[in-house]
Amino acid sequence: MATALKSFLNSPVGPKTTHFWGPVANWGFVIAGLVDMNKPPEMISGNMTAAMCVYSVLFMRFAWMVQPRNYLLLACHASNESVQLYQLSRWARAQGYLEKKESEAQQ
Amino acid sequence: MAATKLQAFWNHPAGPKTIHFWAPTFKWGISIANIADFAKPPEKISYPQQVAVACTGLIWSRYSLVITPRNLNLFSVNVAMAGTGLYQLSRKIRQDYFSDEKDAAPQLEA
Repeated sequence: MATALKSFLNSPVGPKTTHFWGPVANWGFVIAGLVDMNKPPEMISGNMTAAMCVYSVLFMRFAWMVQPRNYLLLACHASNESVQLYQLSRWARAQGYLEKKESEAQQ
Repeated sequence: MAATKLQAFWNHPAGPKTIHFWAPTFKWGISIANIADFAKPPEKISYPQQVAVACTGLIWSRYSLVITPRNLNLFSVNVAMAGTGLYQLSRKIRQDYFSDEKDAAPQLEA
């Protein structure tokens, strides 16, 4: 256990390096998204949420391709992608973009 | 001469054929979205989201200068994120904590 911890602490993507703290900062977006899930959809910014969805897809690819490969960044953006897509769906529903099928069925 | 420089850029290992270019370039979308949101009323601003934007911007601004090689594209985009995030926070804080007193005073007088 102690050796696993030591190897993590001293790893090239560990807490002594920038490759660790940048991704940690990006988890802030995931936490913010989770906190905002309980807020009314009128408070969601469509602009920002859509930008985040594209941004996280690109950075998942970046995290995979960068040297050294950064799994923490990959996990962070995969989570953020899920959260932001969910928030985007809440926003779209509140804006009336997802109601088409229901109104067609009624007609 | 311009053609060879363009070719050098196009074929660069961090150039437009690679994710190393597009990921930081697209990060500008977050700041652009924030600037578009300057026009929205402060009630719609999310504290947790803007704190995340500002903190990410500040931390990555520092680290983009420390990594090898230095990435000035990444630096500038994160400076913009920190700036827009801090501005949005100031708008919301100003409305929540400073304009309420002004709104309350006329009501008391009336």
